[in-house]
Amino acid sequence: MSTASEGIGERRYVGGVEAATPRSILSVSDVSRYFGGVTALENVSMALNAGEITGLVGDNGAGKSTLVKLISGVIPPSAGHIEFDGRPADFASPSQARTAGIETVYQDLALAGNMTVWANVFLGRERFRGPRFLHLLDKKAMIVAAREMLGRFQMNVPPIEGNVDGLSGGQRQLISIARAAAWGSKLIIMDEPTAALGVAETQAVEGVIRTLKDRGFSVLIISHNLDQVFRLTDRIWVLRRGRMIGERRTAATDPNEIVSMITGARAGNGEVA
Amino acid sequence: MAQSMAGPQQSTSSFSQGLRRNGILGAFIIVVVALALTKQQFWSIENITNILQQNSVIGIIACGMTFAIIIGGFDLSVGATAAMASVVCAVVMTTSGQFGVPLGVGAAIAAGIMVGAINGALIAYLRINPFVATLGMMTIIRGLVYVSTNATPVFGVPYEFTNLGLGKIYGAPIVTLIFAAIALLLGAVLQLTRFGHHVYATGGNARATSVMGIDPDRLRFLTYVLVSVCAAISGVLLVGQTASGQPQAAMGYELTAIAAVIVGGASLGGGYGRMFGTVIGVLLLGVVSNGLNLFGVSPFWQPVATGVILILAVGLDRTRRD
Repeated sequence: MSTASEGIGERRYVGGVEAATPRSILSVSDVSRYFGGVTALENVSMALNAGEITGLVGDNGAGKSTLVKLISGVIPPSAGHIEFDGRPADFASPSQARTAGIETVYQDLALAGNMTVWANVFLGRERFRGPRFLHLLDKKAMIVAAREMLGRFQMNVPPIEGNVDGLSGGQRQLISIARAAAWGSKLIIMDEPTAALGVAETQAVEGVIRTLKDRGFSVLIISHNLDQVFRLTDRIWVLRRGRMIGERRTAATDPNEIVSMITGARAGNGEVA
Repeated sequence: MAQSMAGPQQSTSSFSQGLRRNGILGAFIIVVVALALTKQQFWSIENITNILQQNSVIGIIACGMTFAIIIGGFDLSVGATAAMASVVCAVVMTTSGQFGVPLGVGAAIAAGIMVGAINGALIAYLRINPFVATLGMMTIIRGLVYVSTNATPVFGVPYEFTNLGLGKIYGAPIVTLIFAAIALLLGAVLQLTRFGHHVYATGGNARATSVMGIDPDRLRFLTYVLVSVCAAISGVLLVGQTASGQPQAAMGYELTAIAAVIVGGASLGGGYGRMFGTVIGVLLLGVVSNGLNLFGVSPFWQPVATGVILILAVGLDRTRRD
């Protein structure tokens, strides 16, 4: 049944526009979210193509973070529905979203600084040895696997048995991203992945994000840095004051147009500003 | 680029941690050697046994406290819980006839679990600050113990039960063997199991653990239950040492236990600490107080010494970190 609905969902989205249209991995349909009397998002729709890097931009308070929270299962939508990989994505918690294949790399780094690199990579997904009920950690296996996982992204692997709080912001971000990518996830959401980083570290992280795409991951990036969005993405969605203003192929637009969509100087997709 | 960002800082951090852990061990060895050289009776079997005997009960409490401090809290109610457990144990033993001993021990542990569950629920689920929650529980429990006993000791515990508190196996006090067993077991839980791992993670960054699908509230709850069970075990051993349930027992143990854990290298901010450090911290405080005794210093100076050691240990660690 689930396979059938997957096919239907796909076809429904593709909608016979053109044969070469890429497969949809995530579709958000008419989603609204209210906090008390405040409308954070109203009738927002968005579609992400599999294997692409999608940018989500908008001014402060446009609703980007709220939309990400809805997708990653942190909070439920007030109305509308979200479909992920052909299935309804009504996640009750971030761990359900993670199980379904959506990993979120948080802006404020969800790493425990007092723990080792390998312990952070395996946090909440430890490997065990011996009798199952004892939950004895298989440290050796986790150390070897963590080194291999981080090495996959051609970065200079930090000391795997050293504590995370000795690492730079860039190295921590790389660990967060590698951890997100290591678990068979399909969509990786990154909220301001380089906000706190220097130039060289930003370059390193952007390199890893491109590597993710090369490896077939779908990526959703929320960023204030338009240069970065243009460097990395295939497609850009613009939110303004809780409404989706429009979508552009990165190759077919320019920063001026995106800025005017963000600020409301020009309406996109036929919407009246 | 990436490699230059990290290397040196990383090694300093683990270096200072190593120094810190070995620093306390070094201080302990220096104190022991100094006492052994200056006071002959210090190194006698009787004296060493005596130190172990006297510090094991509080040592067990400190083992539990290590978990509470690593997870970012602490428990002020452990002394009162130990006193309650000793009274519950004595009352049940003296009133339950034939199976009084196992029933008494069981009732004391059950009382500990109950206190821990209340502490854990207050802190983890009602979000009450650990200081407030356990301070309140401390005075409530101590008060209830006084009310129920009229503040008089409960006598009539079977005399054989003192074997547990005062007996020895091949010269080693039984209470010390129990302390060693608990320290080894809880040390292994901390270092080798998922639970210990998640306790460290929660103490280091509770948000990170919940984002990764771990429930930090559940861990906090279980941690406070564990702390109270350790306190209850100590209460049972106190019955074994005095053949009675003592409403006034274990007064001030909470602060000595916290001091021992901090001296042992744990951080009150959570995330850091080791069972080995706690054991050394307990022994260091015990050896210093024994040394003061041997030199004929008034016992009123002992808390002064404990305070100085506590501040020195934390202060030295701070200067090393900066």
